[in-house]
Amino acid sequence: MTVTQAPQVLPAPVSPRRNFWRGVARVLRRKPSRMAGVAIVGLFAFLGVAGPLLYPNPLPRDDNALYAAPSWAHPFGTDFEGTDVLALVVTGTRYVLLAGLATAVITVALGTTIGLLAGFHRGRWDTVLMRLTDLQLTIPGLPLLLVLSTVWKFTSPIEMGVVLGVLGWGGIARAVRSQTLSLRERGFIEAARGLGLPTRHIIGRELLPSMAPYIAMNMLIAVTGAIYAQVGLFFLGVLPFDANNWGVMLNLAVFGGGALTSAAALPYLLAPLLAILLLTLGIVLVVDAMDEIFNPRLREE
Amino acid sequence: MTESFAPGVRVRDLTVVYKTPAGELPALAGVGLTLAPGTITGIVGESGSGKSTLALSLLNAVQPPGRIKEGSVEIDGLGDVVKLDGEDLRQVRGRKVGYVFQAAQNSLNPLKTVGKQLLDLGRSHDVADLQALVRDARELLGRMGLDGARVLDSHQHELSGGMRQRVGIMLALVLNAHLVVLDEPTTALDMITQATILRIVRDVHHERGLTTLIITHDMGVAAEVTDSLAVMYGGRVVEHGPTTEVLGAPQHPYTQGLIRAIPRLSGDIDEARALPGRPPTLGTMPREGCVFRERCPLRMDVCDTVDPAPVTRGERTVACHAVGHQVSPPRRKEYA
Amino acid sequence: MNTVARRLSGHLARGTAMIWVVTTISFLIIRNIPGDPVRGQYEKLIEQGMAPDQAERATAALYGFLPTGSLWSQYTDYLNGLIHFDLGQSLSTPGTGVATLIGSAAKWTVLPVLGGTLLSFLLGVTLGVYAAIKRSGRLGDALAISGSLLHGVPQYVIGLLVTAIFTTLWPILPAGGPVDIEFDPGFNAPYIASLVQHATLPVLTYALASYGGWILAMKSSVATVLGDDFILAAELRGLKRGVLFRYIARNAILPLFTILALSLGMLFGGAIFIETIFNYPGLGLLLVNSIGARDYALMGGTFLVITVAIVVANIAADLLYAVIDPRVRAGGAA
Repeated sequence: MTVTQAPQVLPAPVSPRRNFWRGVARVLRRKPSRMAGVAIVGLFAFLGVAGPLLYPNPLPRDDNALYAAPSWAHPFGTDFEGTDVLALVVTGTRYVLLAGLATAVITVALGTTIGLLAGFHRGRWDTVLMRLTDLQLTIPGLPLLLVLSTVWKFTSPIEMGVVLGVLGWGGIARAVRSQTLSLRERGFIEAARGLGLPTRHIIGRELLPSMAPYIAMNMLIAVTGAIYAQVGLFFLGVLPFDANNWGVMLNLAVFGGGALTSAAALPYLLAPLLAILLLTLGIVLVVDAMDEIFNPRLREE
Repeated sequence: MTESFAPGVRVRDLTVVYKTPAGELPALAGVGLTLAPGTITGIVGESGSGKSTLALSLLNAVQPPGRIKEGSVEIDGLGDVVKLDGEDLRQVRGRKVGYVFQAAQNSLNPLKTVGKQLLDLGRSHDVADLQALVRDARELLGRMGLDGARVLDSHQHELSGGMRQRVGIMLALVLNAHLVVLDEPTTALDMITQATILRIVRDVHHERGLTTLIITHDMGVAAEVTDSLAVMYGGRVVEHGPTTEVLGAPQHPYTQGLIRAIPRLSGDIDEARALPGRPPTLGTMPREGCVFRERCPLRMDVCDTVDPAPVTRGERTVACHAVGHQVSPPRRKEYA
Repeated sequence: MNTVARRLSGHLARGTAMIWVVTTISFLIIRNIPGDPVRGQYEKLIEQGMAPDQAERATAALYGFLPTGSLWSQYTDYLNGLIHFDLGQSLSTPGTGVATLIGSAAKWTVLPVLGGTLLSFLLGVTLGVYAAIKRSGRLGDALAISGSLLHGVPQYVIGLLVTAIFTTLWPILPAGGPVDIEFDPGFNAPYIASLVQHATLPVLTYALASYGGWILAMKSSVATVLGDDFILAAELRGLKRGVLFRYIARNAILPLFTILALSLGMLFGGAIFIETIFNYPGLGLLLVNSIGARDYALMGGTFLVITVAIVVANIAADLLYAVIDPRVRAGGAA
């Protein structure tokens, strides 16, 4: 549809894979905001991998500039010990993303397994698993996390992922179950059974691939949820500060620096908030694009 | 309010287009159709022939992405409804033209009782005597074999499909509209209920002196209740005339095919012959020439390039090149 | 009526099961906290010169079970106490029952949460209808994007931003606490004005944090209803715009009640952040402070009460649903 496109003389044979990427490109091009989303998520992924390498360890302190105002040297000012706030945000990205990723992997693995089992076997399995899912969904998650923090200081990214994952798989389990049931309705499973295919093959080769895009999208949403939860836990100060991350920054800015009453510590507070908002925006935009790529009903419009 | 006059309806050059990724495609292409006052006209045709679009056009209610591109729908006493909009159009709908929806089983608000919806209808059209309205509704429902008081007290989910359809018909008639459009009023009903409902429609039509349009794909229904019959194909009215003549001596090859395709109770099943091929869809409709030529046994060279114009002789209208050649040579106007 | 009773009993059974799970978790956690605070308290009292049986009773009053009993007897004691609404004594506020503390904190949570929910529900539902009708317009797009963004952002981010704006950058509203202490509590104008001033930011935060969700939910719900046959049928019957709008709105709001139940649970979670940020003395702040003060009886009690509140909110939302939807009420196929 673009005007600049050169007229195609020969319709080249297109492989389905290439066709898919072309669809992706078209969906991204249609709303430029989606490109921005991909760029933002890419930027944070880069900071997560390379961020700590960009700055010396430990970060330099400037004792003459405590809570310094934003300047060219310190775009977001400095914290209570004169460390550059931007450097703190950048180096803190790794922890935040790692914990988010760990959570997402565990959430999706647990949720998909339970949802598949419930939808595939139905009957008693289904009833038991769905009761469990309902319980998981209605139990107040954050209060439980706080209470749990009194017995277990789950501060490493992996531990954090385990805790948040075990408390957060319900939504995906329910969604995967209903997807499985709807594939079942369409005779997917019966047909495979009729061909004599083993259960493992049906789940691994037939069901999972058709749900993969859906699961991928949920995983991205799970990443955001996990990031909020862990930053929030550190912000509340119920976990000891092992490493530098955004939640620790928020806690120190609000309860140490009095950012809510004095303007001096405000940049220190706003920088991690801005990072969270930007990352959320990026992920929302990417999910919006994925939705259109994988959901043919929307694509047709 | 009770002045009894049946309006005539004249549809002229009506073109309705649907917006698709491939551009605007015509669902109706220059349709002309006249409903004589006080008659029951039937429209038959396969799915996708444009029947429902034509019915909706009578209320200027073609749904997006479709729109009326050109043409007029003149109704006596109302003028050209294509030009109406806003409040004027709303007052026509329901009050002057009753409409029975194609999916009448789902035409009720699931959260309100039928009675409350009846009152909503009455208040929307400023009916002064709501008690009389309820009385009329109860009587109409009673004639259709329902317990009026109970039905008015019921929610949609408490009524069967057939009951809901009858409620839909009641709501179309209760305001004394003199033009009534019924879009497939009896699909999804069993034979007995179907017969009952058709009988009521006909009785009410005669009692109140209405002009009625019935859309159907059932030739039996058409034969039973209609005075005149229009056959639609590919967004065009290909044949129109008194029902007995159209069914007894069909002229258009499509009508002939349709009638041959009906299996008869008495007679050999092998005599029923299905029409070869499929009806065109919006996307596959030929851009020029006759839309029926692909399936036509009488196809000629001219059919590939020229869309046959409807030709009227006496009470009958046919749009076919072959009919023109067979029955009368071109340029000869009179044929008795 | 029968169906409503059946739904209610199902909810009660599930709610009871959940409350039982939560109490068991609380018990096990209190029992397994590093350093065993129950045993610690008992030994501390003995060191202070109290007789062992007296110290045992004093500790039991705190936690609801004897420090020296077996795990099972402690568990049954604990449950038994809860059944008799005995939540134990607070350690951080000596001489005060946990139930009393929770009771006085509850009003500071319930009123802002309900106010915020109501505000965001009305706002979100209205704008959601608009976003659905103007789906392809620029404003509709902007509403949808702002909805998903606000829906995605956690409450504490919104709370912190709101505070930064209205108390630091542009100080027009008080930063924390429920009320200025200089006014006499009671039904007088300055006190009430101060209450309202202090409640404005927390309520605003609750509303902002949940309104995005309502926009999105209402938008998709309206879009579904607009495609329903009965709306076209009503239009073809020439119903007035106002009547038509009511048909659409009532049918579209219906599925939101299930979300309302879930969102109330989320809001109680959010209350923890919002009350911490605004130093608002509700249940969330009580929970955080009890953990900071190692007041484990208070912690367990607060956790339990939050859970019960969520169970009750769920049941209430479900009953409301049954009242509005005749299909549920009659027990027909819904």
